[in-house]
Amino acid sequence: MPGLEFIDIHKSFGAVRALGGVSFTVRSGETHALMGENGAGKSTLLKILAGIVAPDRGEIRLDDRRLAHSSPRDALAHGIGMVYQEMVTFPNLTVTGNIFAGRELTGRGGVLLEREMRLRTRDLLARLHLSLAPDAHMGHLSAAHGQLVQVARALAFDCRVLVLDEPTTALTSAEADHLFRVLDDLRQRGVTILYVSHRLPEVFRLCDRMTVLRDGQYAGTFDHELRAASRELPAATDEPRAASRELPAATPEAIVRAMVGRDLPARPAFSGTAHTEAVLRVRGLTRAPVVDDVSLDVHRGEILGVFGLVGSGRSELLETIFGLHAADRGEVFVGETRLPAGSVLGATRAGVALVPEDRQRQALLFNLALRHNLVLPRATTGRSFLMRSVEERAFSNELVRHWHIKAPGIEATPDRLSGGNQQKVVLARWLGINPRVFLLDEPTKGVDVGAKDEIHEIVRRKAVDGAACLVVSSDLPEILALAHRILVMREGRVQGELLAGQADEESVMQLATAPVRRAS
Amino acid sequence: MTRFARLLRVREGSTLAILLIEIVFFGWYLWPESGSGYHPFLNGSNALLVLKYSSIYGIAAIGAAIVIISGGIDLSPGAVIALASVVTGGLLVEGGWSLAPSIAAGLLVGVVSGLLISLLVITVELPPFIATLGAMGIVRGAGFILTEGRYFDVSRVIAPGWRPLGIPLDWWPPAVMIVLAILFQMAMHRLQWGRAVYSVGGNETAALYSGISLGRIKTSVYLISATLAAVSGVVLALVQGQGKADLAMGYELDIIASAVVGGASLSGGRGSVIGAVLGALIFGVLRNALAQIPGATFYDRMIVGVVVIVIVVMDQILVKRGA
Repeated sequence: MPGLEFIDIHKSFGAVRALGGVSFTVRSGETHALMGENGAGKSTLLKILAGIVAPDRGEIRLDDRRLAHSSPRDALAHGIGMVYQEMVTFPNLTVTGNIFAGRELTGRGGVLLEREMRLRTRDLLARLHLSLAPDAHMGHLSAAHGQLVQVARALAFDCRVLVLDEPTTALTSAEADHLFRVLDDLRQRGVTILYVSHRLPEVFRLCDRMTVLRDGQYAGTFDHELRAASRELPAATDEPRAASRELPAATPEAIVRAMVGRDLPARPAFSGTAHTEAVLRVRGLTRAPVVDDVSLDVHRGEILGVFGLVGSGRSELLETIFGLHAADRGEVFVGETRLPAGSVLGATRAGVALVPEDRQRQALLFNLALRHNLVLPRATTGRSFLMRSVEERAFSNELVRHWHIKAPGIEATPDRLSGGNQQKVVLARWLGINPRVFLLDEPTKGVDVGAKDEIHEIVRRKAVDGAACLVVSSDLPEILALAHRILVMREGRVQGELLAGQADEESVMQLATAPVRRAS
Repeated sequence: MTRFARLLRVREGSTLAILLIEIVFFGWYLWPESGSGYHPFLNGSNALLVLKYSSIYGIAAIGAAIVIISGGIDLSPGAVIALASVVTGGLLVEGGWSLAPSIAAGLLVGVVSGLLISLLVITVELPPFIATLGAMGIVRGAGFILTEGRYFDVSRVIAPGWRPLGIPLDWWPPAVMIVLAILFQMAMHRLQWGRAVYSVGGNETAALYSGISLGRIKTSVYLISATLAAVSGVVLALVQGQGKADLAMGYELDIIASAVVGGASLSGGRGSVIGAVLGALIFGVLRNALAQIPGATFYDRMIVGVVVIVIVVMDQILVKRGA
């Protein structure tokens, strides 16, 4: 039983080869992971599968029939449902409206069958264990519910293959767990799932087999034996089992090696520099209702990790320190300077830098060249009215070279870069003005394994150079690997502090979920 | 050929090419039939006429382009032109003021309108479309209230053959337009302020996170736009000799069209000051030439509409190919 076959898919955009002959098979009924670094060709392959772009050569076959589709609508009609990474939904419509958007059920004379659609929505939501009203407004839903409504949309049209592109980037771990249970459930019902993700733990939790792409080439398929053995699908026992013996076993090391093309260096141990001088001092910082009486010190050369679940006020804390919002109460000092409340310019001039959570929305200017993006903080913190092109070019080129940013040149716009390199641009431009306090909000969100390592290295180097670093992340292993000290937040308050040596995933999670201590 | 291709690559280059093609086309179309040496379109005084009338649009289009690059829109320039002409004209004709203070008062109309719009956009947080739509009504209305239906015949107080600073009066509008265009083009590309305008238009949130003061940048662009419209109004009053509350009706759309034809993107972050001026000239040439073709005046508005769409579509194709 063949399932979904990719046969020798080629695709180039101008001179750039995105896919150079990719072939692999997703067996009917299995959950198959598609992995690879940014720029490996995953997105292009998904776009071809969704009918958004046409391949130059090669074909996709579903159950031995060649797929000739030319639009996402066609793909859905052929039984391929896509759940996109970013929410492609209509925030102004209801859940029902979203599920049936473009394919509304109509009666005689084109009249919408509202009742029928609402009933089917209720059904679908129940299948996904979602306690949502069919008439709820999409704009009011959380990211997780938005994702699941997309799954419901795919199911509404009886899709046989469900494709999910990085579905957990915006989800908390509890929400992700719900999604995983739904996917397990769908797998039991025989839905074929193609799951695209960077995150190894998820892929090992969910998938039977994993295919890795690297630089537009097929880099191997791995068999996750434990998972495959626990399969409860009777049909897939004899023939594929024999074939699967041929495949290398999936281990995190093997997959990372296939994705990166080399072994990653072991994480360097922390020297834990002497904590003497507190560079950043926050005293009783309050901004109702998101930040509640937070005090902290970050010393010279120290990396302080801040962990908390979604809604714990971590990002808001950084934004308030950075002056994006004026605090109701409390003070922030950099060295001996007290920062003016609610002034980004004041903070940046005192040497505070913020790498925000969402680089596309909050950091990069896609209408301007990389060069302009790279000089932005220097230009805004500087006091010169004139721009000097020659100096700017030299400065940008130096940043690109020094931080190993892979780009077609400093005159290219940022959309030509992979996610990891875009993130490096955002880091590098602040590093260009030598910040004393470096605030990072989810610095490795949506970047691949290789870039993640490089970004961690950049933060460590900056700390060694004497900056005080404050890293917010919902990626617990990242916090544990990077931070000297970990603060845990919940509902805008600091719940506790752990030293790197004492902290593990369990102790941090315990603090993050424990009831809030209210000051008496 | 490659040099021509490179010229097209620069956005102002392709706008200039369209202007030249337009001039060549009408030069051919309006070529006098038999031997008479006089060409009704291609002659010095007609060229000056085109420049003179286009400048009224062109000066305001510089401001419109800057507002559009910052991601905003300004619907008020037509009204500001009219009010500025009324204030300058009224003070000269009825107020008995001398020239310099009358001009200053006319320009002040622009400053006040610009501050009003900035207040509405930044403090009251109205969308620019609504804020400037409201300002358009208020400013236009102020003109009607001040004049009560009167019309100030400025040409009465201006001596015939007047040459301020030794430059013939008719040369003033194009000279003002060209000088302002060069100044603002340089400001947009040589000053941090100009880069900040492009940044705010490209990604307002990212600009905020980089420490750019959105309030300051937005105030500056609406102030510049309204003040340049007032310059247009003052020039109109002095050169065409009138101050009237119903002048420049509907000019705001032609002014926005000039900026867009010159490469400004209504989604912000893209555009050029020189392009906007060339856009105003494209429309000026078009109106002038059509007026000389018998019967074509009825088609004037329609042709202008088609030209806007064709040029923007061509631009999109060029941008796509360049990317």
